[in-house]
Amino acid sequence: MRRSASRAVIMADQWPRCVREMKGVILDMCGVLYDSGEGGGVPIEGSVEAVRRLKSSDLQLRFCTNETQATREKFVGKLKRMGFDIDVREVFSPAPAVVAILKERCLRPHLLVHDDLLPEFDSVDKFNSNCVVIGDAADNFSYQNMNTAFQILISLEKPLLFSMGRGRYYKETDGLKLDVGVYMKALEYACDLEADVVGKPAPMFFQSVLNDMGLQPHEVLMIGDDLVNDVGGAQRCGMKGLQVRTGKYRPSDERDPTVTADGYVDNLACAVDTILKYRCV
Amino acid sequence: MASRRALKAVLIDLSGTLHIEDVAVPGAQEALARLRCAQVAVKFVTNTTKECKRTLLERLQRLSFDIEEREIFTSLTAARNLLEHKEVRPLLLVEDSALEDFAGIETSEPNAVVIGLAPDHFNYEMLNRAFRLIIDGAPLIAIHKARYYKRKDGLALGPGPFVTGLEYSTDTKAIVVGKPEKTFFLEALRDLNCSPEEAVMIGDDARDDVGGAQNTGMLGILVKTGKYRAGDEDKINPPPHLTCENFPEAVSHILQHLIS
Repeated sequence: MRRSASRAVIMADQWPRCVREMKGVILDMCGVLYDSGEGGGVPIEGSVEAVRRLKSSDLQLRFCTNETQATREKFVGKLKRMGFDIDVREVFSPAPAVVAILKERCLRPHLLVHDDLLPEFDSVDKFNSNCVVIGDAADNFSYQNMNTAFQILISLEKPLLFSMGRGRYYKETDGLKLDVGVYMKALEYACDLEADVVGKPAPMFFQSVLNDMGLQPHEVLMIGDDLVNDVGGAQRCGMKGLQVRTGKYRPSDERDPTVTADGYVDNLACAVDTILKYRCV
Repeated sequence: MASRRALKAVLIDLSGTLHIEDVAVPGAQEALARLRCAQVAVKFVTNTTKECKRTLLERLQRLSFDIEEREIFTSLTAARNLLEHKEVRPLLLVEDSALEDFAGIETSEPNAVVIGLAPDHFNYEMLNRAFRLIIDGAPLIAIHKARYYKRKDGLALGPGPFVTGLEYSTDTKAIVVGKPEKTFFLEALRDLNCSPEEAVMIGDDARDDVGGAQNTGMLGILVKTGKYRAGDEDKINPPPHLTCENFPEAVSHILQHLIS
């Protein structure tokens, strides 16, 4: 298979050595479990079985996504219909995390999000907004909606922007699509501010997953298709990070000057094969 | 200090400085006439990307400004010059009203992206198209990177935020052809036989007009009309040569202090 950099081959040979000390695995979802697209998307070959095998191992398993195009319940329902054995309580996504922050700080958001995400914010006061929250709004990223968000931010004495993730793009069945990070950058530039990122790669977000598992960072392996947000984010928290060559993966990722994964694997099924094999030795 | 250089040319921004949409800044026509009586060349430089030169000229003449088409230098002209130089076929994210300035440029099977102020094109689908071209290697040419501009109903996003977003998505840098780029100001001065040290720029945008001009070696005068917001003069370093209420005041300063 594709192994463009010799460094990657060496790393790929080394990462399984740390598997025996592992106590938990965190999986990114889109691009690792399935490819999104029209009609909800399709599972990546071998991933349904790979999740089942991890679950029946002695490893703790959590799912960590920056998905903000649907409520967590709807999103998990979609994956269950694809055949994945997943429970809502195992899934960490940015919307519930941002709702907790808004309530704690008594903030009233203006929302620039996907219509299907709105129910997550039902319990939040949105009247007379004093901050802006953006997610992967897809077709809602119109000029007019961006302009409304901009006008609210620029009118605030201290503009406050929360971005649910900072991804550049993701892959759908019909091609690459712009992600929320692009629009976060646009508003940052327009208003001369820095957004608060909730979701990957924010350390707080990974830490909340580790807390839930009751594990230390060095005991946990993160597997994702996003080099910067999944792999780099996890590594900065002290975890190991593997990149799968599915989803948004591009061969140039293996020569990236800023982030080097602890290993590169063809897909989740291959990763799980290796993990389980080394744990049995 | 003001007399340290002999002034040969005055560059003047249009929108926000001479007029706001279809209303002239009070006294601006008369101030321009006063300036024309002095021994200086005058040129109008603008990042207005929605409008072709002809439309700009028609509006200015309707507002009774004494201006000729050859005196106008826009970022669209600068972009067209660059496309011809690079021999590329652009996806044009500019408003239909600006297309006239790109007449004759081949646009089938695009291998470049030109982005101006084009609210009608800044939808998710079109930006995805641009993104996919850029990630496959097409150059991103930005007419300018203004953060926002002033409309009758308040401030509105300029092209800059969308250019910045596309840059981030693809980890590339746009080639900016409009203000505040050095090349833009130098190109505007080229046929005037005048060095930047012999020119002054008047505009309402602290970064793009005044900062850009001063980085090129010109003096910059900031006017408190158009998009100006309190404190804008503190956003650039070095600060503007002068900050004043409006264009007529800027002209008075030039006539009294910069022309001997």
